[in-house]
Amino acid sequence: MATTTLTPAASAYRTGLYAWLTTTDHKKIGIMYVINSFVFFFIAGLLALMVRTELVSPGLQFVTDQQYNELFSMHGTFMIFLFVIPMLAGFGNYVVPLQIGAPDMAFPRINALSFWMLPLAGVLLLLGFVTGGTAAAGWTSYAPLSEDRPLAATGYGQDLWIMALVLIGTSSILGAINFLVTIFKMRAPGMTLFRMPILVWTMLVTSVLVLMATPVITSALIMLFIDRNYGGSFFQPPNGDAILYQNIFWFYSHPAVYVMVLPAMGFVSEILPVFSRKPLFGYKAFVFATAAIGALGFSVWAHHMFTTGAVYLPFFSIMTFLIAIPTGVKMFNWIFTMWRGQLMLKTPLLFAIGFLSMFLIGGINGAFSAAVPVDFALHDTYWVVAHLHYVLFGGSVFGVMGALYYWFPKMTGRMMNETVGKAQFVLMFIGFNLTFFPMHELGLAGMPRRIADYASSTGWQDLNVVATVGGFTIAASMTLLLWNIFLSLRSGPPAGDDPWEANTLEWATSSPPPAYNFDHLPEIRSERPLFDLRHGRTAEH
Amino acid sequence: MTTDNQALLPVEHNPLASMPHDTHGGISNPVLGMILFITSEVMFFGGLFAAYFNLRANAAAWPPREFEDTLQILPFVGPATILLILSSFTCQWAVWAIRRDDRAVFLRSMTVTVILGITFLLMQATDYVVLGSEGLTLASGTFGTTYYTLTGFHGAHVFGGVVMLSVILYRGMAGQFSGRHYDAVEGASLYWHFVDVVWILLFSLLYLLPGKTPAI
Amino acid sequence: MSSSPRSRTSQTAIFALAVGAAIIGLSLVLVYFGINVLDEGADFISGLYPPIAVTTEGAQIRELYTVIFLIAVAIFIVVEGLIIWTVIRYRRKPGDDTLPPQTHGNNIAEMVWTVVPTIIVIFMFVISWQTLNVVDTASANPQTRIRALAGQFQWQFDYLSPDGTKVLYTELLPLVSLGGGMTVPAGRTVHLSLVSNDVIHAFYVPQFLFKRDVVPGHPNQFDFTVNESDAGQTFRGQCAELCGSGHSIMLFEVRALTGAEFDAWLADKVAKANATPAPPPSGGVGTTVKLSALGVKYEQTSISAPAGAPFRIEFENKDPSTPHNVAIHEGSPTGKAVFTGEVFPGVATKTYDVAALAAGPYAFVCTVHPTMTGTLTVQ
Repeated sequence: MATTTLTPAASAYRTGLYAWLTTTDHKKIGIMYVINSFVFFFIAGLLALMVRTELVSPGLQFVTDQQYNELFSMHGTFMIFLFVIPMLAGFGNYVVPLQIGAPDMAFPRINALSFWMLPLAGVLLLLGFVTGGTAAAGWTSYAPLSEDRPLAATGYGQDLWIMALVLIGTSSILGAINFLVTIFKMRAPGMTLFRMPILVWTMLVTSVLVLMATPVITSALIMLFIDRNYGGSFFQPPNGDAILYQNIFWFYSHPAVYVMVLPAMGFVSEILPVFSRKPLFGYKAFVFATAAIGALGFSVWAHHMFTTGAVYLPFFSIMTFLIAIPTGVKMFNWIFTMWRGQLMLKTPLLFAIGFLSMFLIGGINGAFSAAVPVDFALHDTYWVVAHLHYVLFGGSVFGVMGALYYWFPKMTGRMMNETVGKAQFVLMFIGFNLTFFPMHELGLAGMPRRIADYASSTGWQDLNVVATVGGFTIAASMTLLLWNIFLSLRSGPPAGDDPWEANTLEWATSSPPPAYNFDHLPEIRSERPLFDLRHGRTAEH
Repeated sequence: MTTDNQALLPVEHNPLASMPHDTHGGISNPVLGMILFITSEVMFFGGLFAAYFNLRANAAAWPPREFEDTLQILPFVGPATILLILSSFTCQWAVWAIRRDDRAVFLRSMTVTVILGITFLLMQATDYVVLGSEGLTLASGTFGTTYYTLTGFHGAHVFGGVVMLSVILYRGMAGQFSGRHYDAVEGASLYWHFVDVVWILLFSLLYLLPGKTPAI
Repeated sequence: MSSSPRSRTSQTAIFALAVGAAIIGLSLVLVYFGINVLDEGADFISGLYPPIAVTTEGAQIRELYTVIFLIAVAIFIVVEGLIIWTVIRYRRKPGDDTLPPQTHGNNIAEMVWTVVPTIIVIFMFVISWQTLNVVDTASANPQTRIRALAGQFQWQFDYLSPDGTKVLYTELLPLVSLGGGMTVPAGRTVHLSLVSNDVIHAFYVPQFLFKRDVVPGHPNQFDFTVNESDAGQTFRGQCAELCGSGHSIMLFEVRALTGAEFDAWLADKVAKANATPAPPPSGGVGTTVKLSALGVKYEQTSISAPAGAPFRIEFENKDPSTPHNVAIHEGSPTGKAVFTGEVFPGVATKTYDVAALAAGPYAFVCTVHPTMTGTLTVQ
């Protein structure tokens, strides 16, 4: 195990809670991002359990139609904007400066500002629950439904939602600027762009997507706000255009799904080489594939609108199919990283393998929807719910779990419990598939999305019961996760600098790292500087 | 396996030395940050412009009959445009001045820039009052909504720019800038030029582009 | 140093045995609970397919689905198989610390797994584009024109004249079971246009394997032809775009008749619609109960009427363009119907003459919106 002895430069002059509230240290900010994201993950998960409970049998048992609409709208909103996107940004915040040998992010105070906007936005969203109802037009909030037409949402929920999302968007954009300047300008000597860890590349491409796409949804949200509150006519017929909202909304929201998955792919790309004890297969191909996904991601947005009768179908269909190619390249590169390796089947690797398998299914069922006539049958049904959860849960969440188990030792100085981790993985894997695989069949059978209730004559109940059982199984696996975190923080064995015999610079300093990260840096001659150091060699290329 | 400490290269003794001065030459961190921020703002206005073009294409007549002659270049909007363009020049003179350590010219040019910016805002506000009295509001169908949204958000960005430049002016008066230290001035001036370019585009779109009338 | 090949083979064998035993054990548990494993398995497989289509366009879509499904299964088996094989074959043996060969990549491999997926994907695009051109057509002279009007929260169907300019008959009840539904002639091309009164809805019939959004300000249309062999059947339909609190109840049904039956049915409906209405009854008819509907809800949740004497209900429908009525059922909204008033769109007022009712509790409900209910006490 590589060790570096480091003495902190000076003792901290702020302590305790005050230190955390006023910190500009990317490591503390990264941890706060992760904690905040988990809080909203559990809130959103609770909303999902309520949804699943209502759907377990025909008839409205627990909530009214309107309340049900609020439940799934807020579930989606919290998951996307306050869990996945910030969680990935949080891990990026923690790991990227360390991996490039920098002492912090380029703009530490803006980093802190970016973070604190998030709990504030979360509070705004939660306020809807106690002020007459939250937004209830789906996380997509299509106009004109979201514009307070009669019979639609009441109260200020939709306006609170708009304000919260504008805040979160601003936080994201500032974060993206920070990442880009840090990555372009603050790499340690010797770390050329093509020697950066792959995670840094994925954060780079993700940040470009955030920078270019997020402002577009900000404009859509502002236009929606003006329509709702100032008599505007952007999206209201007869002169406004309801389809305009969808175009502007999806121009952001499609690249957003790559924002939600590329960093998770970065996590997997860090974990697989370490636990296979071989380098990432096809590093350059990987970089180009990531860039291709980012670029192509801007050209497919209207595949969410195939049934509107208002888009040029062949173009968006072919571009959607084409995006499968760089994704496939990555899949094979990951598999061949493991091929002929020495796989250490520890929890981070289990989650990475789970990612590969589940994301594969998510990519495959997405191909069905790319075929326009098939999408005519599947759009707005539970098939789409299956697809999005296979890529976002089977993909991003599994990636996040892997990242947590992999970097927890670095962040806290303690190892997480392997047995509980493996148990969590198995339970989560089973629960996840039980919940979402049946949804393929439900969608094919004709069950639309976003319905609070269904008649028993449809025959949909059996599969809904299976899905609900799966949902509660996922919840059980989360209790294992919480227990593991609690247990490990209290009495996990000390991790040391480099418990995994890893490759990248964050493992060349103490766990946790001191303020400003490094006292000394290894020579950087490849994308695996620590591996090179450990084996007394410079890079092959 | 223990580490051979001789293989490690020491980081600069002061760990803060690499911030904000980076390990690579070229554009400074704050200026790169501002360029990226401006990119995001371009995309924001892009969304608003896209909405404008879409709604304009859908409309039978543009401007609609009742607002055929409402938007007028004189007496406010045209002169305000000239003032804003002038202010970009004075802003750039300020940047060139501080680069050659001429603090007097820098302060003077920056003061004029701020004054021109404020004047632009006042003229825009007065024009709004006139338009309002002629019946054009946010609620005046797609024409009014798009006009006020586009010019309003541009105005908000001008306001932000005025605040930014005022801070630069204040810091300049406090002696914080010199021929070796002027990144913030460069950044702020880039933003100001961006605001000016957006206005030129917006002005051309709203006031110079020929309208369309429905075929009878 | 590393474990011998023989012990690795035996490890794999034990692993396979364990998986097999688990599957057998699981099947035994399912059988114990009365779950017919083979039947359920067959159901599961067929559930991975969409329903058999009842339109010619839908059949094309189902064929496309089948091709994509087979490609998907093949890709899944190959890639997932590779993953599982790799994980089993290359896992580290305890005590083995040798570094595996540090392969950085292989350009030929990269080319292969870029080019082959590209070919597969382009193939899928081409066949789906071809299917689209067959499915998404609009014929110049459709034999039947219907317009579906979607609103919060119901469907109504206008039967149009052949040139599409006149409404011959409007069906206000969306379900066949209520005496309404969208009646179509099997074997003939139906041109359906879609209009929304308020927010975005979607016209979705699972057995057509087809849906199309109904967007206010953007009228949509599509053609479909129900198979002649499917005449006599009823297909369920539902709104598939979130439209508010009543989204889940926005159901409708499509009923296919033979061409001749359809012509007769439509002629009959048109005649009835054009017939002069019966003259209103003269003289007082006792008490008038006032009832009104706004926002797809009755404004009065409980009303009362005298027992043993006919009475009138003056019903004001305040929801513009939205059809409502008042129907009286014994006891609860699902009880026996004792009176069903005429359905009419708002904003309008109609007076219903209700025959004498015995004393007791009744419920009144809107035939179009089953969640619109109230209680009627007759005493």
